[in-house]
Amino acid sequence: MAERMSALSGPSPSLWRRLDPAAALGRLSETRYWMYLLLVPSAILILAVVLYPTVYGFQLSFRQMRLNRPDLGTGFVGFKHYVAMWNDKVFWLSLRNTAVWVTFAVVIEFGLGLLAALALNRNLPGTKIMGVLILLPYFLPNVVAGHMWALLLDPRLGVINDILVRLGFLETYKAWFADPSTALGAAILVEAWHGFPFFALLLLAGLKGVPDDLYKAASVDGAGPIRQLRLITLPMLRSVIAAAVILRVIGLVNSPDLLLILTGGGPGQSTQVLSLYAFQKAYKDFNFGYAGALSVVMFVLLMVFAWAYVRVSKVNQD
Amino acid sequence: MITTSRRARLGWNIATYAVLLTLTVFCIFPLLWTLLTSLKYEADIVTQTMQYIPKRITFENYVTIWTQSGFPTLVFNSFVVTATTVVLCLITGTLAAYSFSRFHYPGRGALMLGYLVIRMFPAVLMIIPLFILMRGVGLLDSRFGLALAYTSFLLPLFVWMLKGFFDAAPKELESAARIDGCTRIGAMIRIVLPLARNGLVATSVFVAIAAWNEFLFALMLTTSQGSRTWPVGLQLMVGEFQLPWGVLAAGGIISIIPVMILFAIVQRTMVHGITAGAVKG
Amino acid sequence: MSTLTLNGVRKSFGALDVLQSIDLKLEDGEFLVLLGPSGCGKSTLLNIIAGLETPTAGDIRIGDKRVNDVHPKNRNIAMVFQSYALYPTMPVERNIGFGLEMRGVETDTRKRAVDGAARMLQVDHLLDRKPGQLSGGQRQRVAMGRAIVREPELFLFDEPLSNLDAKLRAEMRTEIKRLHNRLGTTVVYVTHDQIEAMTLGTRIAVMKGGVIQQLADPMTTYEKPANMFVAGFIGSPSMNFITGTLVRDGEHVGLTTDGNNPASIRLPRVAANLDALLGRKVVLGVRPESFQADGAAPDLTGTIDVVEPTGPDTLVVLALGNQTITARLGPKLTVATGETLGLSIQPDSISLFDPDSGNRIE
Repeated sequence: MAERMSALSGPSPSLWRRLDPAAALGRLSETRYWMYLLLVPSAILILAVVLYPTVYGFQLSFRQMRLNRPDLGTGFVGFKHYVAMWNDKVFWLSLRNTAVWVTFAVVIEFGLGLLAALALNRNLPGTKIMGVLILLPYFLPNVVAGHMWALLLDPRLGVINDILVRLGFLETYKAWFADPSTALGAAILVEAWHGFPFFALLLLAGLKGVPDDLYKAASVDGAGPIRQLRLITLPMLRSVIAAAVILRVIGLVNSPDLLLILTGGGPGQSTQVLSLYAFQKAYKDFNFGYAGALSVVMFVLLMVFAWAYVRVSKVNQD
Repeated sequence: MITTSRRARLGWNIATYAVLLTLTVFCIFPLLWTLLTSLKYEADIVTQTMQYIPKRITFENYVTIWTQSGFPTLVFNSFVVTATTVVLCLITGTLAAYSFSRFHYPGRGALMLGYLVIRMFPAVLMIIPLFILMRGVGLLDSRFGLALAYTSFLLPLFVWMLKGFFDAAPKELESAARIDGCTRIGAMIRIVLPLARNGLVATSVFVAIAAWNEFLFALMLTTSQGSRTWPVGLQLMVGEFQLPWGVLAAGGIISIIPVMILFAIVQRTMVHGITAGAVKG
Repeated sequence: MSTLTLNGVRKSFGALDVLQSIDLKLEDGEFLVLLGPSGCGKSTLLNIIAGLETPTAGDIRIGDKRVNDVHPKNRNIAMVFQSYALYPTMPVERNIGFGLEMRGVETDTRKRAVDGAARMLQVDHLLDRKPGQLSGGQRQRVAMGRAIVREPELFLFDEPLSNLDAKLRAEMRTEIKRLHNRLGTTVVYVTHDQIEAMTLGTRIAVMKGGVIQQLADPMTTYEKPANMFVAGFIGSPSMNFITGTLVRDGEHVGLTTDGNNPASIRLPRVAANLDALLGRKVVLGVRPESFQADGAAPDLTGTIDVVEPTGPDTLVVLALGNQTITARLGPKLTVATGETLGLSIQPDSISLFDPDSGNRIE
């Protein structure tokens, strides 16, 4: 093709064409491999910054790697970390806390999100602005969210304590995050505040895709609002719900941010979860090998969950 | 019959407003309270009787956080990291999204899924090796290194969201442009990108907010004032200096202002993009 | 000069053959319509001619030049798309002139050419508007303006009228025909609408399953369809197909229909000698408009099932043995459901097909 062009347009423009990077890129875009070439920059980035580190992380979990103890070296230690984990009480506690944390957070967030989506989907006058305000928490940083709620729930200055005392629900101010029996619950409340807009967002989009005729047909058939929800809305939203739950569970299991800011895993280990435990092992103890092993276990559990969840929701569909 | 259904509808309408009002208050109250706190004198915050409406207001907390800590540097660092992340995503992600949206080729579905699965990798699993790698190549504690790390986990979202916006532009437009004399890349730059302008902006804002807010990677991968971002800086200030509530609240408000402004501007397009990806995928 | 030749053009996606060895030769100034149902490969063929897709095998020649490896912009073609594909971000003027702009034509020359094309298509008052502000018909005109402004050797139309309502479609059809008469440029036109094909084409290529079923001028495809697919696809209501066996019927040849309730049809005189086919099983094809109500000496008699007056004429569905046929009869016909009706068939208007292959028997 290049020869043909130069034959048509004489030697000097062809030389110019060969030197011009824009024209060269244009010619490149006409080749058969253009669609793959477009992927190259992002693929390189992902390979270098995601895939390679992840593989590295896997093999790290079989090695000794303690940045503060260089004397131990970085030798291969086989399943040492995994065996240690099996005997680590904190690991089992974190696993249990993770399950509680994720389950309660997802259930509450889904409930609130569905409520918000159903209400917003009625499109009553004046509710549009509320829809925007309800979405706002999802876009706020964890650090700010954490400290806002720490302020609200503060044992000395917390306005929620004050309101609860005034209303007679509490005798005295309560140190929500310092009491092992309430710390995880309080953290879940903060997480619910931060995460339910995500469900509202996706469910609302799903609701907009349900044909109105279905509801008309159902009311002609005599189905009330509750039955319509159960027989039409929820089944029609099945795939959206599945996607939202999986994404949210991944997010909750993977990111220790909020708990790190709110409680740091305490008091005691009462709010310790797997991701936070792994992060602290790496960040505080510099025990990279053990932290790697913890995150590998986390990843495997997440994969198993995602696989099982997709299977179950598919089976129900048939 | 008609009266009962009208009454029933009125009941549902009242319930709808009640639900939305409660949720709105639930969502906004913490923000409002933080704003109020940031405007109070410290003496009015630490009192025996709670002041719901501040008796007097002051901007002293804002002055304090801005002048007596490294906050401006932190914000500047965050700005640089965020901008770098957006630019990296725009360059690499736009091309990838275009490829996924415009061409059908063997392996396309698998590749798209591959880009998505990346999001499932635990952050912690990536952070440790990234720490070691970045230390090895001298990118630890650098703003560019941090932006690179952000790009890697935000890129999949960026690509999927943008693909949705590209899909909305008819393919025949490129055919027409090619017959009119554009190359493939010419058709993309001259025709499709201008058309997907809103989508590009919304997707970039989404990524920008995520990068601006990010805490965990920044905590691990930055170690000095030179590259530390505001979430890490603010968190460390709380630990180190027993930061007074009013000052902390002022810092929080300052740092979420950009988020709120961006969110307000492209909220509609962005929400559309997020949901389109999730509802279809 | 602007002829188009396709030689053994094939296109497959993996194991799927979308086009199977297409051969075509188009003379200068011809208007070829590629007609077929969706999925028959007609649009793929058009895209291959345009250079938007590459053929798996075969040659494409425009004029004397083999253009297989030539970029679309260098093939000297113009294309009108189903969705019009007007650039939404550009005003009409730039839309029409974009091809010239990309070829480095000077602003003055370009402006003159755009004005001329716009005037010819009566969109000269819309030049400052964006495509989003135009009606469907106006967009269609702008899309055509964009095609003619470059004075290409070959026009390609990809179902250009399918997004218009019925009235506008008829209007634009006339406009396209007028344009072709005036410019005389060679055209390849893709459609699934047989009326467009009949009215516009100098030749029609009826396609199915990636194969050209018949390539002929419109009247031939209508009067002498090459096979049952072509016969059924062209004409509305569709041609009646009656299966039966050819028998001697006095001095005529007749058809006894299949089934346990056979009916007899007397075939009209045809040019071909049917005697050789006596005793053979065939499919008789008769167009609805080839019937006439005839009480005196009917070729066939059936029971009226449904009567559908359309205004200019009346469609009568008739039960004939175990089969039904549709006849298009004159207006103001006073017949009722359940009555018996005798019909005669116009001479030289029938087709006979082989029931196994579906091909026309001459």
